[in-house]
Amino acid sequence: MTHMEYNEHLLIFGGVCAAAWFLFTYFWPLMLLYVYKRAILVKGFGEGPIPINTLYMQPQTFFADPFLMPASGSNLATTGVNRDTLMTIGWLDLRQGPQILHVPDMAGRYYSVQFTDPSKNTNFAYVGKRTTGTGAGDHLISGPGWKGAVPQGMPQISSPNNSVLIIGRVLVYSDSDLSIVYGLMKQIQLKPLNDSIQQK
Amino acid sequence: MFNRTTTFLMVFNGAICVFFFIRLFFFSHSRTVLNDVVQGILIGFALAFVTAQIFMRIKATKVNGWITMFGCGVPGNGMLLRAAHAQIFLGPINVPQEAMYWTTSGDGAGRTLSGLHDYIMHFPAGGLPPNNAFWSLTMGNAKNRFVANPINRYSVSDRSGLVPNADGSVEIYIQNAAPAGHESNWLPAPSGRFILWLRVYMPGASILDGEYKVPPIVEVK
Repeated sequence: MTHMEYNEHLLIFGGVCAAAWFLFTYFWPLMLLYVYKRAILVKGFGEGPIPINTLYMQPQTFFADPFLMPASGSNLATTGVNRDTLMTIGWLDLRQGPQILHVPDMAGRYYSVQFTDPSKNTNFAYVGKRTTGTGAGDHLISGPGWKGAVPQGMPQISSPNNSVLIIGRVLVYSDSDLSIVYGLMKQIQLKPLNDSIQQK
Repeated sequence: MFNRTTTFLMVFNGAICVFFFIRLFFFSHSRTVLNDVVQGILIGFALAFVTAQIFMRIKATKVNGWITMFGCGVPGNGMLLRAAHAQIFLGPINVPQEAMYWTTSGDGAGRTLSGLHDYIMHFPAGGLPPNNAFWSLTMGNAKNRFVANPINRYSVSDRSGLVPNADGSVEIYIQNAAPAGHESNWLPAPSGRFILWLRVYMPGASILDGEYKVPPIVEVK
């Protein structure tokens, strides 16, 4: 290799350093959310990996007894202290078409379903008491560039990313309320748009 | 997170970067292109961590010992704010309109919270966190885990039947042993260090505009 001036080395180092700084800063949220993706799709929360486009509900036993830990899988669901809401979590892949999120009638109870863009760790949409009220309903979640027909009367959520992290929270009033919340939570469901068309 | 380990890591990383730059720019030595690239990536990573940490500390709000950050998770946030968010909250937390989160590991005077002491959190009359959903104050040990206690109470909230004082104010007793006569307002603490989380879901306007101040944790013994 030809001899290089020290200044040229400084230029190469400086360029690589600036590029690395930019890339790590830009992709920091993505690296963080990758942990969630792996926890959901690879490790699961004690009952095996969670299939894509499926919501996994936190078992009520873990909420009832905060010292109970899943025997296997990721401990991400039991990390941190939360005594307020039962959670449901899932990872969407919208490349095969949109999904329909069904929510039951929550009768005024606080709940929210948060849609997170994993590349930026920002929440581009919510279904829940604050944004859509507590009545029952279906919501269409479509990926970028999807141009199909939206079922009549169904609100559409356009995701900026084909991958979406979904986190649902339903407020628990008391220990004796837990099984009611669990029953409501079970009705928060995903299904592909295409299936529902074929069924009709 | 906002703890000593990350502070130490930030300072340590920063010191390495400074040392490296001084050596690089003021003391010429023999170098190869491989050096340039490998060191560029490592130092670039260290600098990304340090700048995100510093930016997080600039953007975070600290009032009465409570730390929070406004504007997390909002679409359109810039690259630096997103990286700072990933530093303070290790997960996809809600946008401010949906929920605000405060945490503290110290009392209002800046001393580390510990079950060796007794504390009171005093909300003046009408001063509970304004919200349209719920609020809660949750106890975690030094590792952010639940704390076992004889009454199986891990948080106090708008649902836990707190008894107000005659003047309408509400006091929460945060201590290891049950406070005689005030059991209904007791949030059990561990014997050692602990942290607290305040959650307010669908926070009121006075929280979102920064007007509402979370009361400090006050040491009484």
